Amino acid sequence: MRSLRQIAASCVFMVSWTAALLVGTRSTVKAAVVPNPSQTNPTWARDVAPILYKNCTTCHHPGGAGPFSLLTYADAKRWGAQVVKVTQSRYMPPWLPELGHGDFADNRRVPDANLALVKKWFEAGMPEGDAKAAPTAPVYDTTWQMGKPDLILKQARPFTLPAGGTDVFRNFVFPYPLKDGHYIRAMEIRPGAAQVVHHANVLIDRTGSFRRQHPSDWRVGVPGMEILLDAGNTFDPDSHFLFWKPDTPALIEPEGMPWSLEAGNDLILNIHLKPSGKAETIDAEIGLYFTGKPPTKQPMLLQLDRDDALDIPAGDKEFTVEDELTLPVDVQALGVYPHAHYLGKDMQAWATLPDGEKKWLVWIRDWDIDRQAVYRYREPVRLPKGTVLHMRYVYDNSAANPRNPHDPPVRVRAGNRSEDEMAHLWLQVLPAHADANGPDPRLALEEAWMRNRLRHTPNDRVSLYNLAAAFAGEGKFAEAVPEFQQVLKLAPGDAETLTALGAALDGAGDWQGARAALQQAVGSPAAEKQQVCDARFDLASLDLRHEELAAAKTELEAELVACPDDADAHELLARADAQAGDLDGAEKELRETARLKPEYAAVYSELAQVLGQAGKLEPAIVEQQAALKLAPDDADGWNNLGVLEARTGKTAAARGDFEHALKLQPDHAQARANLARLAAAR
Amino acid sequence: MALANWNLLRRVAFTGVLACSQFMMAQAESFRATDLQGRPVERLDSSGSKAVVLIFAATDCPISNRYIPEIARLQKEFGAQHVAFWWVFPNPEDTVAVVRRHELDYSIHAATIIDAKQDLVRMAHVSVTPEAAVFAVENGQLREAYHGRIDDLYFAFGRERPAATHHDLEDAISALLAGRPIASAGRAPVGCSIIPLTLVAPAKR
Repeated sequence: MRSLRQIAASCVFMVSWTAALLVGTRSTVKAAVVPNPSQTNPTWARDVAPILYKNCTTCHHPGGAGPFSLLTYADAKRWGAQVVKVTQSRYMPPWLPELGHGDFADNRRVPDANLALVKKWFEAGMPEGDAKAAPTAPVYDTTWQMGKPDLILKQARPFTLPAGGTDVFRNFVFPYPLKDGHYIRAMEIRPGAAQVVHHANVLIDRTGSFRRQHPSDWRVGVPGMEILLDAGNTFDPDSHFLFWKPDTPALIEPEGMPWSLEAGNDLILNIHLKPSGKAETIDAEIGLYFTGKPPTKQPMLLQLDRDDALDIPAGDKEFTVEDELTLPVDVQALGVYPHAHYLGKDMQAWATLPDGEKKWLVWIRDWDIDRQAVYRYREPVRLPKGTVLHMRYVYDNSAANPRNPHDPPVRVRAGNRSEDEMAHLWLQVLPAHADANGPDPRLALEEAWMRNRLRHTPNDRVSLYNLAAAFAGEGKFAEAVPEFQQVLKLAPGDAETLTALGAALDGAGDWQGARAALQQAVGSPAAEKQQVCDARFDLASLDLRHEELAAAKTELEAELVACPDDADAHELLARADAQAGDLDGAEKELRETARLKPEYAAVYSELAQVLGQAGKLEPAIVEQQAALKLAPDDADGWNNLGVLEARTGKTAAARGDFEHALKLQPDHAQARANLARLAAAR
Repeated sequence: MALANWNLLRRVAFTGVLACSQFMMAQAESFRATDLQGRPVERLDSSGSKAVVLIFAATDCPISNRYIPEIARLQKEFGAQHVAFWWVFPNPEDTVAVVRRHELDYSIHAATIIDAKQDLVRMAHVSVTPEAAVFAVENGQLREAYHGRIDDLYFAFGRERPAATHHDLEDAISALLAGRPIASAGRAPVGCSIIPLTLVAPAKR
């Protein structure tokens, strides 16, 4: 029944941002301009407008994220001096990675020749040229770039950004309001005041944990740069960069790689705002575009991290931290997101392949948090098993670093505030050979990642927990047990860990040990209501498997007092009732399950079985048909329907059902035998 | 300080002043500029002023706009100490209507000048927005005391520190009021170039 909770245990997941890769371009402009050396003076119409349209106007248009427009000749002339200054310094367009150190799809570096042309135009007095010969200016839509979204989430309350002061980092919660889950193929964020939104990350809170942490203030937004979320009971690692910056209006996922939202999930918009001089209203909307196609590829976000090593003396110009992580499986790297705060200077990441080849992942020589971004590789970077990922970050905590938030410099350590530091490198990887029958290869990545974190910080509770959960997910229960026990030494009596330990002990064959751990979880004084319910459920499930029907029933009835809407518990209780021969009780619990989870096909099959056993054949047929309506490809279901119909004398219908089952599954032995019995009875 | 009713607009009166003092740099030229009602601004100081501060700004320059709260803070700090603050808009496209709209948008409640002829730009020796100029009022005459950046928040166009570490304008005004020499004169400001009048294409707009 609720096998996931038994097998995969819980994962408290450290998320410090999150972010998406594919970037929708708002308009298409003809390819790069190759300057013609024979020309005399460049003109706006012939030479400069195409460069601006290709590289600048996606942000610099009226109402766009850029602070001024560059769409018209008058605009170009107004801003010509600045355009030359900021392009010569390569401050614009925003692009931090060094050329030749990672081949990125969204490379925004403008060729030298184009910049020289703009400079020459400026020096010549910015002539317009033949206006009629100028390319048509791109048109920028102010509505949703991809058309009307399937679902629009709105900020609970508008937020007013003050006119002045320092940058603001804030988290807004957008509850997912639907009862049914959906796969998301694209997302668009409309922040409300584009010019003050520097960047935004969207995090998925699978358990509503952030809202629970901030019951009184989540509607108005919670300050903070980084947040910690509880990822819940299933192994569902963060897998997509849901990162937004002003020039990336829509986040379109690659084919086969949608992400998912379920009932009870929250999206958290983690947003960096920069005051503009006047008060601005942030009233963001998130547009979601659904797809019916489930993912065929399961990427994962891996992290290298040396926050533990960040203890930067005041005045140190070159404080260096390094990390490395050996890949346990073949992967393809899809994108990279380096992250530090204001002291970060030189940030390098590369991979050393098993044959010794060095592949650059990214190199930023002059880090600027204001222009942080996710970089997506033009082609996936193949990294075979045994590849070592390296990260090397250099920090400048001297007074000469103009971004230093402290004057005079002070000692700086890792932390969540912008004046603290960070040393993170996120890499989106896709396991190369996922075996549908084997354990999820991402569990091996999770294991390697958590081992690496523990190498730096041996008693990090989150890492220990996640490592243990990864072991359990891989079926290595004997290895999971001591790790969970280690977590319990750090957090004695923690109900979530005790429940996970119970599951691991059960998996390792220690039924009585499992029972003891689960009972301890049930009785844990600090446990939340939901944690007690989870523990009772697992205890009942364990008892039921060991034929302790009365004990199972007692636990479930106790659970349902506290958590009456737990459909899984009603279903499990129905199973206990059925095993004890109480078919009426089982029917009642299954009907309650169906009321709580009306789209859940299996419950109607189970009802059909219980009703059939009680001799209520016609009602059983109705339920079995309901099950097949929801799951028409279930061969067992068609076989069972055939049996019920045969028992009520509907021979022709039964034959059709058995044949249907065999069509769906030609080796369905029972359907074949049932068909033979029908033929013999004729 | 008792001030004579000296009027900068009276060009004729000037020549004599220029001849008599090397200090009176700002008085070497007159200016023609208007307020937001379109009326000529005849003098920058008022009765009792010890100093005049001009903040050169542009409605469409993001760096200039970002300083609006900081200038409001300085104005509050020094207003009671007889320092007159003026916003000065020198760019050709910043007409009375545009600037009025902008002052509503940004809640600016301060005296404002449209420097359409850019006389004040020349008088104050400024080149970008935002840029500040400070004049001492001495016997009704203006003596140039400081021009340059407001502070060091920006170290390049669009690139800024988390917070300013040197408050040049604030220091200059404080020094002037205290009779101390002004320490950090002449630091190059970061901002948007003031549009030269020669660049305006009459056919456009």
